Amino acid sequence: MKQLLLAACLLTLMISCKKEDEMKNKAPLAYVEVPKESHKELYGLWTGTLQPEYDSYVRNEDDTTDTGYEDGPKKITIKINRIHNDSIFGQSIVGGNQRPLKGILTKMGANLFVTLDEPGKAKDDGRFELSFTNDTLHGSWIIYKPNKKIIPKKKLKLVQKQFVYNPHFMLSKELDDAIVEWDTPLQRQDTVTDEDGEEHIYLEDIYRVASDEIFHINASTDTLTEESLKNLRKLDLEIVRNCVFARHGYSFKKSSLRYFFEFSDWYVPVSNNVDKDLTVLEKQNIALLKRMEEYATDHYDTFGR
Amino acid sequence: MLRITLYYVPYSTTASFLKIKQTEIETLPEYRYIFYAHVYTSIFVLLFGFLQFFNNHSKTWRLIHRFSGYQYAFLLLAFAAPSGLYMGFYANGGLWSKVSFTILSLLWWLSTFIAMQKIKKREFASHRNWMIRSYSLCLSAITLRIWKVVLVYFFQMPPMDNYQIIAWLGWIPNLLIAELIIYNQSKIKT
Repeated sequence: MKQLLLAACLLTLMISCKKEDEMKNKAPLAYVEVPKESHKELYGLWTGTLQPEYDSYVRNEDDTTDTGYEDGPKKITIKINRIHNDSIFGQSIVGGNQRPLKGILTKMGANLFVTLDEPGKAKDDGRFELSFTNDTLHGSWIIYKPNKKIIPKKKLKLVQKQFVYNPHFMLSKELDDAIVEWDTPLQRQDTVTDEDGEEHIYLEDIYRVASDEIFHINASTDTLTEESLKNLRKLDLEIVRNCVFARHGYSFKKSSLRYFFEFSDWYVPVSNNVDKDLTVLEKQNIALLKRMEEYATDHYDTFGR
Repeated sequence: MLRITLYYVPYSTTASFLKIKQTEIETLPEYRYIFYAHVYTSIFVLLFGFLQFFNNHSKTWRLIHRFSGYQYAFLLLAFAAPSGLYMGFYANGGLWSKVSFTILSLLWWLSTFIAMQKIKKREFASHRNWMIRSYSLCLSAITLRIWKVVLVYFFQMPPMDNYQIIAWLGWIPNLLIAELIIYNQSKIKT
């Protein structure tokens, strides 16, 4: 029995040795040419606004699904990862949508021109045509296959920006007059009787307004308590919580949330998932804020406490 | 009312109202038990109290009246009002709502206690008057929640500003109406 075991051990040893030998022989047979990296000054994050060109779009008034005119300006980040000879690789991040980019860099005189293509699988993929002058990347984006929801041509002007996580960043006060959530009004039915005694029923939109507290409560630096959050409405809680994600460069999918943060200079959307970057304190505050939001959703305007 | 009681069945320390009471749940070990004593007894107090206003002086009704009256008084004096007092100390909405809920629970307990003393002395009229006061305060459980819906509908105030108002609006008008009823009845009799 012992001999048998010994034999088995030896056999496995021999086999593993043989494998290693084979690998050694196969490894660096051919000499692979390492592409030359160039224009490293373009590497990094470029942010700006993606501004729809409404002239490029013809609205079909009879078609109610034709909602392209609602497509507004959005903050965009283009991340350039590598430039090999004339090939350029990166990512575009718009409205929570992260797309890989691949393109070509051409040089004409002192000017650099870049075309960057999104993969084309999604219905809102397109091509960027940009030029690099005076430290800005500017140009246009054109959709591959036009559809009813998106303006087919957009202009953009990007400046290079460093993304830094700073827990002390707060929502811009510039927003002061506009802390209203315009995207999802509550609709309430109202009846009005006019002079002739006729009743008119109409729908009234009620917009949610955030309070001033959102400029003072920081869920990235302070340990929040129930007591300090109890008097906040649901919208306030949502903003305070999402401000944490904004500081980490989260690219919001919901336009209503994006709207609040795009007013702040420091906001650079760099990723559509920042969960792993959150600090322990932030995670703890987020859990508390979520709980308060749940309560506010279920109980703010209903019969009960 | 039954529906909002059922939010708390089965027992859970994170249900509904307790979602914003986790500080108390975590720092005061007794809070959860006193809270549940309040929730589970109050629904019966409301129900037994309601039955008391249908006494047509037949023999069966007299029995029912006496039975549910004892239930009302016992559950209220032993559980619902003292637990209300305790929770009043930790009420949401700061000092003013704490003061309100504390006064409310003291008055609730006292009016019920006096009403019991009166019936023991067989003073029916004043027993009735004190019970009207007691039940009007009891009904603040319902009126407070109605006021909340009304106020939120008209003015979308921050939740705790709202709460401070309903803390008072929940029981003072009730008590005034109770006094009005008592006053009118005494006028009819004399």
